[in-house]
Amino acid sequence: MNKLWIDERYCKGCLICVDVCPTKAIKASKEINDWGYILPTEHDMNSCKACGLCELMCPDFAIAIEEVNG
Amino acid sequence: MSKEMKAHNTNKRLHNVHLLKAGEYYLQGSQACIEGAIMAGCRVYGGYPITPASEIMEYASRRLPQVGGRFIQMEDEIASASLLIGASWGGAKALTATSSPGFSLMQEAISIAIMSETPMVIIDVQRPGPGQGYITASQEDVMQARWGHHGEGSIIALAPSSVQEMFDMTIEAFNLSEQWRTPVLVMAEEPVAHMRERLLIPPWNEIEIIERKKPQDLGIMPEDYLPWGHDIVAPMANWGEGYSVNFVGLVHLEDGNITKYSPQMHYDCIERLLRKIEGNVNEIARIETEFLEGCKNLVICYGCVARTALEAVIEARQEGGLDVGYVRLTTLWPFPHEKLRDIVGNVNTIFVPEMNLGMMKHPITEALRDRSEKIVSIPSLGVLHSPEYILSKIYEEIR
Amino acid sequence: MKKHPMLKYLKEEGPLGQRMPLIMCPGCGAGQVLNYTLHAVERVMNEDKIGKENFLFISGVGCSARLTSHYLNFDSAWTIHGRTLAIATGSLLANPAFKIIVFTGDGDTGSIGGNHFIHACRRNIDVTIVCINNGVYGMTGGQVAPTTPVGAITTTTPYGNIEEAFDLCKLAETAGASFVARWTTAHPHQVIKSITKGLRKKGTAFIEILSQCPVHSKSSPVAMLRELKENTIQISKKKESGEGKTLIGEFCDLDKPEWNESYQKLIDQFDHEEGKS
Repeated sequence: MNKLWIDERYCKGCLICVDVCPTKAIKASKEINDWGYILPTEHDMNSCKACGLCELMCPDFAIAIEEVNG
Repeated sequence: MSKEMKAHNTNKRLHNVHLLKAGEYYLQGSQACIEGAIMAGCRVYGGYPITPASEIMEYASRRLPQVGGRFIQMEDEIASASLLIGASWGGAKALTATSSPGFSLMQEAISIAIMSETPMVIIDVQRPGPGQGYITASQEDVMQARWGHHGEGSIIALAPSSVQEMFDMTIEAFNLSEQWRTPVLVMAEEPVAHMRERLLIPPWNEIEIIERKKPQDLGIMPEDYLPWGHDIVAPMANWGEGYSVNFVGLVHLEDGNITKYSPQMHYDCIERLLRKIEGNVNEIARIETEFLEGCKNLVICYGCVARTALEAVIEARQEGGLDVGYVRLTTLWPFPHEKLRDIVGNVNTIFVPEMNLGMMKHPITEALRDRSEKIVSIPSLGVLHSPEYILSKIYEEIR
Repeated sequence: MKKHPMLKYLKEEGPLGQRMPLIMCPGCGAGQVLNYTLHAVERVMNEDKIGKENFLFISGVGCSARLTSHYLNFDSAWTIHGRTLAIATGSLLANPAFKIIVFTGDGDTGSIGGNHFIHACRRNIDVTIVCINNGVYGMTGGQVAPTTPVGAITTTTPYGNIEEAFDLCKLAETAGASFVARWTTAHPHQVIKSITKGLRKKGTAFIEILSQCPVHSKSSPVAMLRELKENTIQISKKKESGEGKTLIGEFCDLDKPEWNESYQKLIDQFDHEEGKS
């Protein structure tokens, strides 16, 4: 199951990654962080195909998908 | 640097078959300054036509490809001055020439060159103003040279008086700009740009050429390099050398960081820019003097007015029996307050002939107010003072 | 912690402190354009075997310009408003081997930089102009720009904009650019492909990217990206539908003499063997 990494120093909670994910593997979290941002979080990582669209469309270089075999 | 980058790099000063060899030549001031520039290693010129500086550009368009350089006529003066910045960051020595209205347009570029500490040379063949003014002789930009760019920071400005000095001082301008990492202005006037005189070119190995300090030569690695640090004049890495150098125009820390703002960081950044030039004025500025020993009156002048003023001083001493001394400011800025005070004793009257209504008179007064009873301007607008005119003004005052 | 794959091209920190996060507002299109550009640069570096020190990023002033303010792990410069192309021309005169990417905005290109823009295209100098068009002067507070549509309410058109907008791509093409394309931030793969083509093109490549400014539009980035996709139509599909939609695609791709190529011929007519001093 692939893993989602969010760099909380850089993410500004624009949630573009959540919107473009073709398999709805990630979602907006229910918490607001100290900066006032709602960060993305894992939803159903079994459906993540590591297509890379979230990384591609991130304006802040704050997201990475780690491909994990098995 | 990659092989492809090295092959195209025009920064290399070629001892080129097309540079003028040692000897005597008869050239126009406009041509002499280009010969000086290419001798100093200038290989990029970008300009825009304007009377009375267009001849400089025309000559540059012919000479630059001959010596392996690149010339371009840009769409306006703002583009020309901006081009110099890009060329300098890319590693080349770059030149432009303009006149007073174009000089006004270049001020923003000069400002960013001061902030980013970019070597470049601008020749201003001054013409009267304000506005379109006229197309003849003037020295009306001498204050704009120092104060025309917005913001703090200082600049170097030289004032040639002959075709020989158009050659020599353009080389000096490039050397100063490389040594102090600053834009340098050559404040010429229409007479000195258009006159034709004998030019003596020395052998190449007698001409000193200064290149900018490089971090590679000082053993500084890219990860430790501070683009505005290490010394009061920082070593300058250029683009294409593997230093990932980022040039900015905002107040910055020594490593180029622009977000860690504080009033102290702001002060440190700007104060060093001023101190770099003004604090080294005794090394940078030059003054020429004649007949100073025991003189009772003084003429202080610069540029091509110095030629006719010297004639007037000689005449006043020989025919008029007056004890008049002569001081020529070869460097206008940074203004050599201390040097002037060191060489000028107490005198009765100081005359300042200028092709404006009294501009350099102000720093001269600041420096020497307590040394003289009277400081008198001898203005002339649009036309070079004749020796007779200066002499008549001197006689009017003190005979 | 796995890091974003493009972070290796950014300076997260310098000798005197932290430089990131990017200063852009949340969801700003400029950050996305930087992401796409770095992908294109990586492609050219790896496939064409061109070293990192050959690349140069220059920007003017504005939100688009902050991309080079101090974040890039490349040679770069953050310069004066609108004069970027003159500065780029200068660096090409110093060394024609540079591969230059100019980050600019709609105001920086179409307004104060207009003169330099048309002449750069006319000369066909070897630059890749990445124009981030958000239809407004973002950094200074949302004033009207030469690309703002008629009727828009901005801080300097409180009663609605009465001026027509520029079509920057048409301007570039008419002025003489070799390669002209328009996409949006919602078309990442097309943007990367066009920028890659632009970098490989010898001549002026102008790539306009319609971008969202969520702050001044008072909208969400996600909604704006959807709008950008819906309100644009690719050239190939224009015949079927396309009323009132902005045309996107590659408008021209020509092979023309590039400025330095032509100038080199002038230099080569003189013998440059090293003389003795």
